Amino acid sequence: MSVQPGTGSRVKGRTVAAAPFLSIFNIRKDFLTRDNQTVRAIDDVSFDAEAGKITCIVGPTGSGKSTLLRLIAGLDDPDAGKVSLHEALPAGSIGYMTQEHSLFPWLRVKANIGLPIDVKGESPEERDRTVRKIAGALGITDALDRYPYELSGGMQRRTALGRLMASGSGCWLMDEPFSALDDRTVHQLQRLLLKLVSENGKTVVFVTHSIDEAVFLGDRIIVLSAGPCRVADIFDNGLAHPRDRLSPEFGRLIETVRCRLETVIEEKA
Amino acid sequence: MNDREKAGKAWADSLPGKFLLGSILPALLLFIWWLAVRSGTAVVPTFMEVLDVLAHPFQVPPDLYSRSLAFSVMMTMLRLAIGFGLGVLTAVPLGLLAAGSRVADRILYPLIQVARPINPIVLLPIATVAFGLSSIASVVVGGEDAWRHDVWDQVQLAMIFILWWGAFFPVFLGTISGARSVRTAYIETMRLLGASRMMVLRKVVIPNALPSIASGMRIGLGVTWLVLIAAEIFPGTRSGIGYMLCTACKTSDYQYTFAAMLVIGIVGLMSDILLLRFERSAGHWQSRER
Repeated sequence: MSVQPGTGSRVKGRTVAAAPFLSIFNIRKDFLTRDNQTVRAIDDVSFDAEAGKITCIVGPTGSGKSTLLRLIAGLDDPDAGKVSLHEALPAGSIGYMTQEHSLFPWLRVKANIGLPIDVKGESPEERDRTVRKIAGALGITDALDRYPYELSGGMQRRTALGRLMASGSGCWLMDEPFSALDDRTVHQLQRLLLKLVSENGKTVVFVTHSIDEAVFLGDRIIVLSAGPCRVADIFDNGLAHPRDRLSPEFGRLIETVRCRLETVIEEKA
Repeated sequence: MNDREKAGKAWADSLPGKFLLGSILPALLLFIWWLAVRSGTAVVPTFMEVLDVLAHPFQVPPDLYSRSLAFSVMMTMLRLAIGFGLGVLTAVPLGLLAAGSRVADRILYPLIQVARPINPIVLLPIATVAFGLSSIASVVVGGEDAWRHDVWDQVQLAMIFILWWGAFFPVFLGTISGARSVRTAYIETMRLLGASRMMVLRKVVIPNALPSIASGMRIGLGVTWLVLIAAEIFPGTRSGIGYMLCTACKTSDYQYTFAAMLVIGIVGLMSDILLLRFERSAGHWQSRER
């Protein structure tokens, strides 16, 4: 199951990255069930997310991908281990986007995008200027005065991306942000994300259930095992952008990751 | 649905359809009224007599103690605005507090649950004894000079108290349920942006609670409106629509009683429509949210 050099290489365990933006050391998380039994959700997970790169996390359903991302975001605390950022960052410097409910339904698109700027307390003129610029880059200028429920799924995700950009954060944690959309929209959003990340030098940790998405976006793909969640494998993806979904290298990497994921699921069963 | 049913529904939704269908029962009521007048009872004034009262709102009824229809309406609205306004102004902050703090909830909950089912009218006798004839004027300028400020002297504290009681609970409970229904994801979004608790309250909790605060206000206004008219009929008042209705009944000027009843219905309806609009605009995003 080796991959040809230049198209992707397989790395066992944690690699020492040149410039990690954040590192996760031996994280463990337990949950209490209704009948007071402890269930280990995440067991001894470690990896780095390199600065300016996209790290994709794939794993079987229920493997604790979202839990892991919440721990990185600081929304939950791990029972053991730690998440460390390699720069001291002020509050509000980690952007977080989920599949749904990231937009406030009572705010218009422009207010949703401008929310992080409002929280920082900048002037309304400054905010409007920034919001216009971001909306232009995302192609949603015409939708600024609408409410989220008046938008298509794709436009809603664009708005959520706009909020991430407005937060000015250098690190985006994304939890299946493009799920439940049609293929064409997903591909548009993926290309948009790649453009935004490379233009603005963002570090991204991207959780997805789609191997295709992970291979298309990720500079590094982390395969998790389920119950409890462990790092099963790490793949470095060296395919050059723009990535061609029809190229043999792309297909080979997808097959490799898919095989690894299948064995992870079989091992558990 | 077949074509005939569809056509019927479309006609019922059209303007002439709405008007005609909506007029059936009022027309029936007018007919019964007309029958009652024809039967020769002295209690029922003719339609024209009532219309005459409504057409001359500044005319003072023959009875010595009464005031004009316009003045009565104004007094009633003033009491309503003050009592209901105080109810909303206290219920919303306390509701937000109870929703946001377990300790505050534990302190407020038992008393509020016992107090809530008590009909405000039940409290009127004891409130009258407790507050006496104190009014806004007597509190502000002192009892001696209160009579100089006639209007404010007739906004009695006892009445404000029971109106506050009627408005408080629906708004309080609406605020609590609205504030508690906030999605955790919204609060987490704010936390990650580095927002303070005040900011979360202003940007998430209050907008999220607004639709149910508005429905609480609608219920509360309905309650206070009923309570107010009943309270104005009670002895100790010297003005208001309820007072006019009652005194006119005593002096057999039934056209004033009927006019007052109509005004109560119309003002009640209009205020409800106003709050319904507020409720809809505050919650426009709710019904259409995925």
